[in-house]
Amino acid sequence: MKKILLITALGLSFAFAGSVSPADNAQYQKECASCHFGYQPALLSKASWEKVMGNLSDHFGTDASLGKVESEQILNYLVTNAGSGKITANNNTMQITKSPYFIKEHRKISAKLIEQKEVGSLSNCMACHTTADKGNYSERAIVIPNYGRWE
Amino acid sequence: MKKTLCFILLAFTLIHAKEFNAPMKTYMEGLSAEAKAANPSFTGFDAKRGEAIFLSKHTGKKGTEISCTTCHSTDLKKGGQNVNTNKPITALAPSVNSTRLTDVAEVEKWLSEGSALEKGDVLTYIINQ
Repeated sequence: MKKILLITALGLSFAFAGSVSPADNAQYQKECASCHFGYQPALLSKASWEKVMGNLSDHFGTDASLGKVESEQILNYLVTNAGSGKITANNNTMQITKSPYFIKEHRKISAKLIEQKEVGSLSNCMACHTTADKGNYSERAIVIPNYGRWE
Repeated sequence: MKKTLCFILLAFTLIHAKEFNAPMKTYMEGLSAEAKAANPSFTGFDAKRGEAIFLSKHTGKKGTEISCTTCHSTDLKKGGQNVNTNKPITALAPSVNSTRLTDVAEVEKWLSEGSALEKGDVLTYIINQ
């Protein structure tokens, strides 16, 4: 019983410490996450995902076109699981990094740490958020290359 | 002792795994027929020509110089890194990454540009890595 309580408490604390549902869709992982980190659907709003999926032929400078069926299936997965609330508030752009909440959370990270080759840009979640692929962005799991733990 | 022998044999077969699987062989035969149709003097694919294509530099969509090696590096036995996103890419060489060049649909998707001759040459280069 104690164990269950502990696990529940732990689960709840994660929910409040930057956790989203993992991107567990095999098709999304295969088609999108081959080239870049598999950003969880909850990190963008429905309107944002619609824009992203409507512009795949010029996907941040790369042609990432998909077949019609695949494209529809992936869009459906993304909008069904799209985010709302503080993460996506005031951001209907195609970029997670444009979210005011995201910007606030990363404001203390120096340009030097972001631009170093191990990171490159703020879109490279896994470079510092060691459990980002599980949807866990908690501060405890942050290790910045050539800096160390963040907490 | 038997185990050691097994390992040695396994390592040996892995090092010498230069054969396409059955579906890939069929795909390569298709490319071969296409190359022959385009040029009757075609006699077969060539790893050296494939290597030259793999190393050749082109102007990318962003106006910068790009080649296969930009992301895959010049040593196919080592992994690479996507130049746009920094996402690590596992090794292309089948000798160290046995999943490579085993799925026709994947090969067709990632190697969508170029003539049948060019595709066949590049695949012949990679299968020997």
